[in-house]
Amino acid sequence: MKKTWRWPLAGFLLGGLVGATFLTVNVVGASRPNAPAASAGSFGEILHTPPLLARAGKAVELSFGVVCGIVGDRPGGRCEPRGSVFLRPTGAREFRKVPLEREAGGLLSAAVPAGDGRSGFDYYAAIDNGRGQSATLPEAGAAAPQHVWPLEKWTTVDVGPPRFGASRAPSSVVARFGWGRGERAIGLDSGREQSRIGPSAFDIAPDGSVVVLDQVNHRLVRVRRGAKRGQVPIAFSGGEGDLAVGGDGTIYVLEVSGTPMVRSFSPAGALLSAGPLAEHVADMVRAGPSGALVHGYPSEMWLPTGGRPPLSAEQQLRAAQAARNVGDGLGVVVHASPAEVELALVRGDRVVRAWVLHGTASFGEVQLAEPYGDGLVAVVRLWDEHHAEFRVLRLGVSGITSSFTVAPGEWAETASLSRFRLHGDTLYQLRSGPSGAAIVKYEIGGTR
Amino acid sequence: MRRGLWTGVAGGLAAMALAFGTPASAYHTHFQSTCTSGYFNDSPVTRSQARDYAYVAAAEGYQWAGGCWNDNNNDDSPGDPTEDPNTNGEGGDCSGLTFKSWWERSDTSDPWFRYHSAMQNTHGPYTAADFKYGTGAPNATVAKAGTVYMDAFASTYHVGMIYWANTAFNQDRIIEAKCEACGSGTWPRTYRGNPDFSGARRLYWAG
Repeated sequence: MKKTWRWPLAGFLLGGLVGATFLTVNVVGASRPNAPAASAGSFGEILHTPPLLARAGKAVELSFGVVCGIVGDRPGGRCEPRGSVFLRPTGAREFRKVPLEREAGGLLSAAVPAGDGRSGFDYYAAIDNGRGQSATLPEAGAAAPQHVWPLEKWTTVDVGPPRFGASRAPSSVVARFGWGRGERAIGLDSGREQSRIGPSAFDIAPDGSVVVLDQVNHRLVRVRRGAKRGQVPIAFSGGEGDLAVGGDGTIYVLEVSGTPMVRSFSPAGALLSAGPLAEHVADMVRAGPSGALVHGYPSEMWLPTGGRPPLSAEQQLRAAQAARNVGDGLGVVVHASPAEVELALVRGDRVVRAWVLHGTASFGEVQLAEPYGDGLVAVVRLWDEHHAEFRVLRLGVSGITSSFTVAPGEWAETASLSRFRLHGDTLYQLRSGPSGAAIVKYEIGGTR
Repeated sequence: MRRGLWTGVAGGLAAMALAFGTPASAYHTHFQSTCTSGYFNDSPVTRSQARDYAYVAAAEGYQWAGGCWNDNNNDDSPGDPTEDPNTNGEGGDCSGLTFKSWWERSDTSDPWFRYHSAMQNTHGPYTAADFKYGTGAPNATVAKAGTVYMDAFASTYHVGMIYWANTAFNQDRIIEAKCEACGSGTWPRTYRGNPDFSGARRLYWAG
């Protein structure tokens, strides 16, 4: 009898000892937060909105904000940033140094005379924070400067007054989801005193299926007419992201929390590559002619992230472009303010076609700007203090070819600029309400 | 004999896991055990100083009802269960980050400035809705069209401060404590045009 129990008992004690040791190591490790880091006193950040388009005959103001951070948890010791902007006319090799002047409110700025912007120009800023630290924006400096195109001819478009509440109904609903985790549901991250975050993004695959980034449930959802919905688990540790599907079916997923990460997946959902973005903030991923393009900050440039293997940070920064490359040598440029929206198709350093939108309501963000026929399809927000709508504009050579209004349907958050996608002649929208989310579509019509 | 030994090992491991190995007990970092209580009253304070202060919280964690963070650009307590202040993780929530970044005081009738150490564990008395409606002596509402940096956009469920207004796509970069999985950061947002959100302002900045 004794012999029967001896070995199991010894094993039980040994297993218990191993288990206790394992758990203790893990609990102690998890219970020991990183001590408050002695701040290394990093530079902080240069803040800047690139003008991108320079009107003929008008000077261009380049303004930079500087965030210094607080070193060692001690306020005061404010930094005194100073610096220069380096300019060169389009096509020139050498940059000219122009000192930045301090304005009220702490901005550093320089005016580029109208004559200097006649052919467009490249620029970058180099700023010292007065604490012995300096930075350039864009980070690659002269190797990949920011660019401004000359805007000599454009089509002025009056979008008219807002039509709050008078929106077009979708032509059909492609997919509906309740909130949750099941096969027909989609994740919602919500609660008291907290944002309502739904699926971040979606796109349309070449075969017409809809791919949704259900990041709350750490998965991709594929919806195809007449087929069973498919779910593929993916690595996604953050709270929000973006998604784009390339012409070959490759799925690009951007994760924006922490250090932004770009992952690519096969159409079936197998991981192909993963790598960090060179900039610390990003809002969009789009499929470019040769892989993913990510819109990063603070540069506000489009960074190619490569394939297998992904591009290094330095490679991304050196290949950054001010325009989004949409193929065939064309790029799309967007520059908007509450008063007007500038949209341009560019080829190299030349503006092929441009539109300037005006209206009686304030403009919000530009949700979408995609080449369409000889023009663009654009989706812009119009808003006042208590209302909002999205205006869909088909822009041709002579102005608006057609337009209609779409209800925002933004009960839950998505990636900030991923509520719409254009596929062929169809515009898709990701909408949400208290009962769930849906992908709906609208026919644009007309000749591409 | 050998089978008995391995059966016992398996039993011992299982017993330990069941007794002590639940995720809740194994996970929590108890980050807040390192928090402090440092603060002092200060004046004058500018929007620029407030933005510098808030910047330290960017890339740190999110803790519902929390209020202390370090400066290592890492969420030191990721993945806590949500809506539970007892998880004691790193970071503020949206209203706590706004309260500290606006150098406000816990007495809602006192409009003046107080520097809170990043590691001071305080949330302040305000909810997101309080900021939306301008509750408290230091707070006011403002038209969204008239907002400038370090004003805020507030709804009944979230609040975030303007870090840099009007990007090229006409968004605003917002500095905010967003969600447990998101942490805190300076992301481009479209709150300005969203009817759920109103403009909110801390009064009495020195510039």
